[in-house]
Amino acid sequence: MSKTTKILFMLLVLFPLSVFSQTDWIKWEKADYDYRKPNNYRHRDFSYENDSSAAQYVVQTTANAYWYFVSDLDGNNCPFRPSCSAFFVESSKQTNVFQGTLMFFDRFTRDFNLYKRHEHYPKVSNGYYYDPVSLYTLDKSKIKYISPSVLIEQ
Amino acid sequence: MNIALLLSITLLLIPPHYPQSENIDFNSPANIRSFADYLYCEKDYLRAVFEYDRLIESQINDTLMFKIGLSYSYMSDYLSAANKFDLTPPSSAFFNLSKLEWLKAKFLLKDYQRFQLSYQNQFVSENNKYQNKGQKLFNFSYLFTDETLPSKEELISPFEKTEKMEVSNFYDWKVDPPYKSSTVAGIMSAIIPGSGKVYVGEVSDGVVAFLVTGILVFLASDNFQAEHTTRAWIFTGLAALFYSGNVYGSVAAAQVHNAKITFEFNESMNIYLQKNNYFIPTYDFCK
Repeated sequence: MSKTTKILFMLLVLFPLSVFSQTDWIKWEKADYDYRKPNNYRHRDFSYENDSSAAQYVVQTTANAYWYFVSDLDGNNCPFRPSCSAFFVESSKQTNVFQGTLMFFDRFTRDFNLYKRHEHYPKVSNGYYYDPVSLYTLDKSKIKYISPSVLIEQ
Repeated sequence: MNIALLLSITLLLIPPHYPQSENIDFNSPANIRSFADYLYCEKDYLRAVFEYDRLIESQINDTLMFKIGLSYSYMSDYLSAANKFDLTPPSSAFFNLSKLEWLKAKFLLKDYQRFQLSYQNQFVSENNKYQNKGQKLFNFSYLFTDETLPSKEELISPFEKTEKMEVSNFYDWKVDPPYKSSTVAGIMSAIIPGSGKVYVGEVSDGVVAFLVTGILVFLASDNFQAEHTTRAWIFTGLAALFYSGNVYGSVAAAQVHNAKITFEFNESMNIYLQKNNYFIPTYDFCK
């Protein structure tokens, strides 16, 4: 074996030892990141799963028709989460259709009020105001007050 | 050429092996202790507990036990903290402080009934030099529950002069909170739409409700006068729905207002307690 071959051989053996002595490259690899704002809130629940009465079927069908024919075409404009239509469906499910209707019209009135909303409602991480059904069912045990300074994670 | 070969071998062999050549026992108890103390002072409590636990396996030390309990407490794991503080033997120099920290952990678990029982059954019976501080926390627990309050004099008695004024204000707030009646709010909105909301402090919501209902009533009446009965009945129906929704909403708004008052009251008490470190002396482990 010539000297040059020996040197080359030695270099081949020893260089990888130096170069690969640090092996934790994996954690420095680039990560695939999705910069879109997450929106996991199920404000488009078309299912009839928990509907127990005929009136609730009517409410759900009305909401489904509104979402399909109006809201999806018009855009997601309600500033609240759950949206007013989802609030109507959810409140009817949690109470009854009569009470749900009253809750919906109260919510709708509050929706008209543009004055200092940020001082009244906490924000959801994607920018909407959080106004859950549980605050308005008149069941005190369900009321969990959340300060407007809190950011709600979905 | 031989020299070049030797030199290159030497240069290439040394770097990978040299960094490993220092002969330090990182796992000696003294080094673990130093590292754990460093982590504790850097507020890396989770890892500090891990390192302290390694030491505890080989040597029982009440300071370490106490610092483990404190670490859990600082991480808001109050159940583990209470369990650790409960293990401190009476012979330990940290016994009295451990009992006080145990009381604080029980308090922060927010199960006030159990906290009061634990205080009466365990804390009071032991001759603790921090008895007065424990008593302060015990008295405060009444302000967080719906139980019958002791008299004002009794409740504020363990507090120092400077503290009495603030605790007295909390007591007054608890006895007579600025709640709004949901019945009154409902009746007010039934008489004048939106006035119930104004009563509970939601002025803009009240004004909007008044305007919406008023406009719909006007439209209904105007259409009836013009004999557009279909439109008139549609507006009447809408006016009735908005009107009843507003009466309902005023009752609900009063409940939400009261929940807000309770929340703010508890928050201000929590801030006060945090400011006073739950009446526990401060430690100098990291000086």
